[in-house]
Amino acid sequence: MKFRLSDRQVGVLFMLPLILAVAVFLVWPIAEAVRLSFVRYNPLRPDDQPFVGLDNYLFVLEDPLFWESFWQAIVWTGWSTVLQAVIGVGLAMLLHQPLKGMNAFRGLLLFPYIVPTVVIALNWRWLFNSEIGIVNHLLMSAGVIDDRIAWLSTPTMAMTSAILLNVWKYTPFVVIVVLARLQTIPTELYDAAKVDGAGAFRRFRDITLPQLAEVLAVVIVFRTIWTFNKFEEIYLLTRGGPGTSTYNLALYAFDQSIANLRMGVGAAAGVIMLLLLLAGSMLYIRVSGFGREDKAA
Amino acid sequence: MRPWAAAILYAVLGAITFVVCFPLLWAISTSLKPKDEIFRWPPTLWPENITFEAYRELLFGGSVASAPGAGVAPSAYFLTWFGNSIIVSVGSTIISITVATLAAYSLTRFRFWGQRAVPYIAILGYMVPSVIFVFPMFLTMVSLDLTDTLFSLILGYVCITLPFCLWLMWAFFRGVPIEIEEAALVDGASRLQVFRQIVLPVALPGIIAASIFSLIVSWNDYLFGRVFMNTMENLPLTVGVMHFFDGTHVDWALMMASSVLMTLPMAILFGFMQRHLVAGFGAGAVKG
Repeated sequence: MKFRLSDRQVGVLFMLPLILAVAVFLVWPIAEAVRLSFVRYNPLRPDDQPFVGLDNYLFVLEDPLFWESFWQAIVWTGWSTVLQAVIGVGLAMLLHQPLKGMNAFRGLLLFPYIVPTVVIALNWRWLFNSEIGIVNHLLMSAGVIDDRIAWLSTPTMAMTSAILLNVWKYTPFVVIVVLARLQTIPTELYDAAKVDGAGAFRRFRDITLPQLAEVLAVVIVFRTIWTFNKFEEIYLLTRGGPGTSTYNLALYAFDQSIANLRMGVGAAAGVIMLLLLLAGSMLYIRVSGFGREDKAA
Repeated sequence: MRPWAAAILYAVLGAITFVVCFPLLWAISTSLKPKDEIFRWPPTLWPENITFEAYRELLFGGSVASAPGAGVAPSAYFLTWFGNSIIVSVGSTIISITVATLAAYSLTRFRFWGQRAVPYIAILGYMVPSVIFVFPMFLTMVSLDLTDTLFSLILGYVCITLPFCLWLMWAFFRGVPIEIEEAALVDGASRLQVFRQIVLPVALPGIIAASIFSLIVSWNDYLFGRVFMNTMENLPLTVGVMHFFDGTHVDWALMMASSVLMTLPMAILFGFMQRHLVAGFGAGAVKG
């Protein structure tokens, strides 16, 4: 005799692990973060968690460091996203050309995406070392600069280095998505435009860009949301420094929770990040038509 | 394409590739330099005297810090950390992939209440940054008395790997034609037989792609390891190597050698699986 499950039972059975996992690994931590944001919680005294209402939120919103982090996060996100989009589209166009050995170039140019952030941060600290770093050496011997630049110890340059790191690591993401889209543009469009006498620039402006518009919008929303919330890239490179000049909201939340032992305040900052993110996701759903069966992926 | 145009294109691509790869080439070069050459100005592009000292120290070291009473040098833990990272990455990947594959199959083959919410849940989880997950999960681990264990790290990584594994597998199963399964079912095979013998082999490329992404994300994570773990023996690689910075003097050859060794497993995976990776990216399921 053989035990056989009905179709219906299999369908439900296969869903059970996911339902459990979503409850444990998604709903629970977020609910817990929201709860924490309404209590005073010092991890050294876990049994004492008085409810404090909106105090944590008021603390965050009145904290100058929070607003400094917020504006710095916008600078960091804006530059990173724009540079990634521009360089990404340019690279994707180059990699789309029919050329022998293109796969090797594609592989090498996508490589930064898989390099651990810790590794990149270490490499960056070494490349941009102000005393003996190779970047200063190359810039000086090329005559671009006369004196060594203190890359990681002045506010503007620290932010610049962090943005460069982010662009280096995540431009491949844009390249891959755009490249995949480029390959689906019918070549007839270009042939017809050529017959009509359109030059390379006009073909780019009138055919390529409109065809890419949708996927680019999606990529930009994604990259904006992720970049805005990045923690490791900044923390490992500058620890938010010099001073607090490269803090963003993720570093702010981390700092409050770990260094200042104010888990509640950190959680409140996290919830604010989450609300901003939800607004961004709404935008994404609008832009991409996500959820409609035919184009959900 | 005209030959001169191709030549220009090769030159441009070559130059860009060189710039992109330079940080890692420079890491390799530095890792092979003896200590006195590292601090030389102007720097030498390629070591005049190649030494494998840094790699020896990391892989066969177990060397004790030179200062008396300083205890064991962090570099002695390198292989332990390496092992830890493998255990937690593989562990969380197995959990996420199993859950995601079963659910994605069910989602694309059955109809039930609440089904339409799943992709929204996946994309939400996909966008929530780890800094929001990490403290609630940490406090949960504290109350379960699980902190500082590799198991807690495995569970933590499921938070960040499951949503995009689900998304990728879901996208993948929607593209797998249902007719063969129906034919087998009509022939009297059970649903479980169909799943094992027909669906799983067909889904293998999707499973591989999702697994690689999941391995990369958990191998590269720093935040969870930093918050969850304390003991030197239990750290994942990413958190461990940051301890090389603790002293006043930074051994750059050691740092760069560990950078190279740490990137190597992912580079090998990437090299073998590049085709699958691009397929995965195409389906839009990447964590960044």
